[in-house]
Amino acid sequence: MRIFKKSPAVKRAGAIVLATLLSVGMLGACGSGSNSSSGSSGTKITIFNSKSEIQSQMEKMAKEYSQKKGVDVEVYSSTDAVVAHLSTKYASNDPYTISMVDPKDVYSLAKEHAIDLSDQKWVKDTKYALKIDNKVYGFPVSIEARGLLYNADAIKKATGKEFKPEDYKTLSAFKGLIKELQAGGMEHPTGVIKEDWSLVAHYLTQVYEEHEDPDAFIKSLHEGGVDLDKDAKFTSLMDTFDVLKDNNYAKDNAISAEREVTEQNLAEGKIAFMFGGNWDWSVIKDYDYTENMGEMPVPQDTEDGSNEKLVGGGSKFLFIDSSDKTSDKQRKAAEDFLNWLVYDKDGQSFIVNDCSLISPFANNKLEVKDPLGKSVKKYADADKLIPNYNHLPDDHFSVLGANFQKYLAGQEDRASLAKDIQNYWKSAKIYEAGK
Amino acid sequence: MFAGPAAILFCAVVIVPFIYGLYLTLTNWDGISNHKPFVGLSNYRQAFADTAYWQAMGRTVIYSVISVILVNVVAFLLAYLVTSGIKGQNFFRAAFFIPNLIGGIVLGYVWKFVFNRAFVAIGEAVTSHTTSSLLSTPNGAMFCLILVSVWQYAGYMMLIYVAGFMSVDQSLKEAAEIDGCSKAQAMVKVTIPLMRSSFVQCIFLSTTRCFMVYDLNLSLTKGEPFNSSVMAAMHVYNKAFVYKNYGVGQSEALLLFVVCAVIGLLQVYFGKKGEVDA
Repeated sequence: MRIFKKSPAVKRAGAIVLATLLSVGMLGACGSGSNSSSGSSGTKITIFNSKSEIQSQMEKMAKEYSQKKGVDVEVYSSTDAVVAHLSTKYASNDPYTISMVDPKDVYSLAKEHAIDLSDQKWVKDTKYALKIDNKVYGFPVSIEARGLLYNADAIKKATGKEFKPEDYKTLSAFKGLIKELQAGGMEHPTGVIKEDWSLVAHYLTQVYEEHEDPDAFIKSLHEGGVDLDKDAKFTSLMDTFDVLKDNNYAKDNAISAEREVTEQNLAEGKIAFMFGGNWDWSVIKDYDYTENMGEMPVPQDTEDGSNEKLVGGGSKFLFIDSSDKTSDKQRKAAEDFLNWLVYDKDGQSFIVNDCSLISPFANNKLEVKDPLGKSVKKYADADKLIPNYNHLPDDHFSVLGANFQKYLAGQEDRASLAKDIQNYWKSAKIYEAGK
Repeated sequence: MFAGPAAILFCAVVIVPFIYGLYLTLTNWDGISNHKPFVGLSNYRQAFADTAYWQAMGRTVIYSVISVILVNVVAFLLAYLVTSGIKGQNFFRAAFFIPNLIGGIVLGYVWKFVFNRAFVAIGEAVTSHTTSSLLSTPNGAMFCLILVSVWQYAGYMMLIYVAGFMSVDQSLKEAAEIDGCSKAQAMVKVTIPLMRSSFVQCIFLSTTRCFMVYDLNLSLTKGEPFNSSVMAAMHVYNKAFVYKNYGVGQSEALLLFVVCAVIGLLQVYFGKKGEVDA
């Protein structure tokens, strides 16, 4: 020990160096250990999947794709909010090569983070590519549409007649059917799910979407120029909502009725109608469902044809990262992957058969298997979809969700709900094209 | 000197992020963009003007006060019970502690099932007409949150009180009783003052935990019904990540931190001041 004797100052300096090295070493240890596998060709692309119900299919597909194409594909998902998750990836300079997001996220992310896909071959094969300033940024994964879900077997059982949805376009016809169902022993033929995204992001939003120019309508709401309670669209949709609400099987505890229970009732034919969309199949398929189900437009007393259309369009979009953390080789591989989804038989089958999604691409002729998807596909092919409005403020569904739930629970009347909606819009940040 | 590595790590994972977070409150960042436009104190102005935030804060205070009192009363009684020499007390200690080992998220879902299905089914069987779930009314939802928190934390705090009870020398209690104290008097005048540090710790832990509650809030009520059970932490998360108002959300988080820190420190300060030694 004597030989190593040093002055206290040197000792102290040595200790600091040692300590620093140690801690740096520890930090380093935390950082490594993730990027282990690499594909045969060395190109690796990462995909962020925000559609949790297809995660296992995605992982399986990635494995097969990697083996066949020699490009290493890795699929990730997150339970966090989509943007919250992506923001941590951007902050740590580790973006995904391909990210799957909702349409409104493409608008907020694309300009900084996505590459222009306008020159891609698939653009001409779909109506649903997402464009900003005439440049294509978003690759549509699937078509989803909302409407009134029905159980035709249950209706037939109660009324004794074959159910033809096109006979019930108007509210008066629909009301008549409800009466018939009740006479046939189905006391409460409808169900309403109380989630704010269903009530507001889906049902209320249809009020805006059925206006010819939703942007202009929202602008005048913002400026206080609309008496919503007198608005024809609001009135006709809310009239229909009242019928759904008054015949709800869980009328007295609408606020604690669980979505799963309501969908189970629909699947098993205890109720006949529920407002929803083809995504509800992922819940319904877990129950003992009857085959004859489908999706129809929300019945309304209106003449403009909106009671013959579902509301929907492209629902999830893929974009390719534009940062310098992604190499051109990776971008090329990512573009190849998108083309594979559209043009390769396996890719087409992956979307339709494995994930039970409706392909937004005209060249994909595969038959959708689930009944709700079949209905939606029929309306989409006939060009009978009212397009989604994708520029609602981010807090819209949550703030107004509270008000709409009060309406559902019978604690607020329609006039005050209309007032609440008007007040919300007065202080809301609205979207203006080009900004 | 030997604090070096720890100090560096502490800087890297606490101080630096904290200062960076402080900086973000001065920007108009949306949480994801590369640009972070500097806006000065306007986020704080917005945070102070955000009525939903202060409502959530008020709700959190009510929830915390009631929960902290109940958690500590229940924990103290449980601790007394399992140190009083009843049969199988080790088993009870373990049993009361178990709820604390279940994460808040899981706990929330389990209790949601209990409130929405089990209690409703029992209610319907007993009264023979439809009963609605406690979770469907604002006051009911608050009651559920408090009940589950008490159930979760009481076992944990109980352990600290058990340690407190054990640390009080038996001879002191005996001496008090020989001097003519009743059992209750010995408890109030001798045992409780001597385990004051347990109270300080327990109240501090339960206060900060209740103030920052998020997981239970998310899985049990999700803010429903009518956004009437959104606690401060949930509001902050929504503001920052769901409504993409990162700067304002971050400022609100900072305010929540300040409120929480002030309450915690005051409580520890006054609690410690009165501590006595045997």
